[in-house]
Amino acid sequence: MSELTVLCVDPDESGRAAVREAFAGEDVTVTEAGSVDAARNALGPAVDCVVTEYTLPDGTGLDVAGAVREMRPDLPVVLFTNESPDRIRTDDREGVVVEYLPRDLPSAGESLARLVGNVVTERSQVGYPLPTAEDERLAALGQYDQPGLETAEAFERLTALAGSYFDVDVAFVGLVDAHEERFLACSGANWETLSREDSMCTHTILKDDAMVVEDTHADGRFADNDRLDELNIRAYAGVPLETPRGATIGAFCLTDDEPRSFSESDIADLRRFAAEAVDQLELRHRLSENDRLSDGETTDDGGGAQ
Amino acid sequence: MSVQRPTYGFEGLPIEPVEAGTNILVTGPALGGIRELTLRMLLRGSRQEGTLFIAADVDGPQTLTDYEGFGGSLDFVRTGVVDCTEDGVDNSECNVHAVGSPGDLTGVGIEFSSLYERIHANGAEHVRTGVYTLSPFVVYAPSKAVFRFLHTLTGRIRTADGLGVCAIDPGTVDDQTLSSLAQAFDGQVELREEGDERAVRIRGLADQPDDWQPVDLRT
Repeated sequence: MSELTVLCVDPDESGRAAVREAFAGEDVTVTEAGSVDAARNALGPAVDCVVTEYTLPDGTGLDVAGAVREMRPDLPVVLFTNESPDRIRTDDREGVVVEYLPRDLPSAGESLARLVGNVVTERSQVGYPLPTAEDERLAALGQYDQPGLETAEAFERLTALAGSYFDVDVAFVGLVDAHEERFLACSGANWETLSREDSMCTHTILKDDAMVVEDTHADGRFADNDRLDELNIRAYAGVPLETPRGATIGAFCLTDDEPRSFSESDIADLRRFAAEAVDQLELRHRLSENDRLSDGETTDDGGGAQ
Repeated sequence: MSVQRPTYGFEGLPIEPVEAGTNILVTGPALGGIRELTLRMLLRGSRQEGTLFIAADVDGPQTLTDYEGFGGSLDFVRTGVVDCTEDGVDNSECNVHAVGSPGDLTGVGIEFSSLYERIHANGAEHVRTGVYTLSPFVVYAPSKAVFRFLHTLTGRIRTADGLGVCAIDPGTVDDQTLSSLAQAFDGQVELREEGDERAVRIRGLADQPDDWQPVDLRT
């Protein structure tokens, strides 16, 4: 297991010691909190997993899970407790979904270390569908999404053109990373990021073709997504950005604040915009590869000049 | 050197054995035999296997009765039910743990994890988990919660060398929702009924027949 940071929430020193003990000798940093409030303050970007006792001085482990789902929605939470399931009150916390491990099992520490490793690598608690080869997809994204590639101006022109061409509120180019979508350019709104569980592009990148949603309220995948209403998204059309090696790293998209349809020729044109965006990304990717080559490094990317 | 991975077989069904850690989505009409097919896929291959039911459409006791009707042996050390129906009640005699609502996926997840641990601790290295069906969860819970629950369930089954068999009637959800749910599974078994003939087709799983295979689901 590569380095992990586990936030342990437990009011008792003996309880926290047991969790520290479970990870002793592994490449794991354990940070600690003794209450729901303290856990909320300790939920920094470095945390990979939360392990919490159920009974806390100012609430329960499920309140900790509630805070996690607000602040870091993808983060796995493990309830590590001696409270039996029928004594755990799930009222108001019915959708947080956590792992549960009894402390009084024989070799509970070993089980905890294994479970934490599994829930992190399996992305067990994300609230959205995952693409089939997500690890490979993220590795490919890393190659195209490097500082200094200066795509902003080109994509601002492209999305402004698309917005007026299709007569929609918003046109954007977004890259979908491990936990959120980041907008490289967004014409008609000033969105910068959107959590992956709220982003419609999360679904677009599952397939290699366009996704059209004429009315978000009439689609089971999005009807209960309040964030889309806040952003005035009622209609959506998106085409995945697919690299020459077949990785789907983001999408070129249109949204509108009223239900609307998109004709086949609209979608054909949107594919052209997406292809243009991919070309822009690919060019910059190759330029940076060439820079690396001229610095004396070698790469296996043989697709240079054709 | 090759190591033989443990497998789960399906006696009497036209489905080849699958590797440990496999999660299968079973689709078909509720009245067309999908319940029978799901229960048959959960029949234990040996006494050492465990069986865990997550019952959402039909309550716990009825699930156990039907399972026994298909030849399932009820060994309550290694067999248990998480009952998610509205009127479900705990029954320690037959290892039924009630949650009270299919909308409470936090509760379902905690009961599932707890029961899985106990069945494991009681000596079942291999556990077959069945969900009948996913539809009430999709109807009563927000979609984010449904995905969190599905990933928790399939992730545990994958890492614990278990078998997951989750049923859904495609008539109860829209096509887009079904296709995004399917994303959490390794493969699908489709069941169709034409007149008196029933057949299954398997997709996404290795070393399986390509075409529709007739299937007899009577006891």
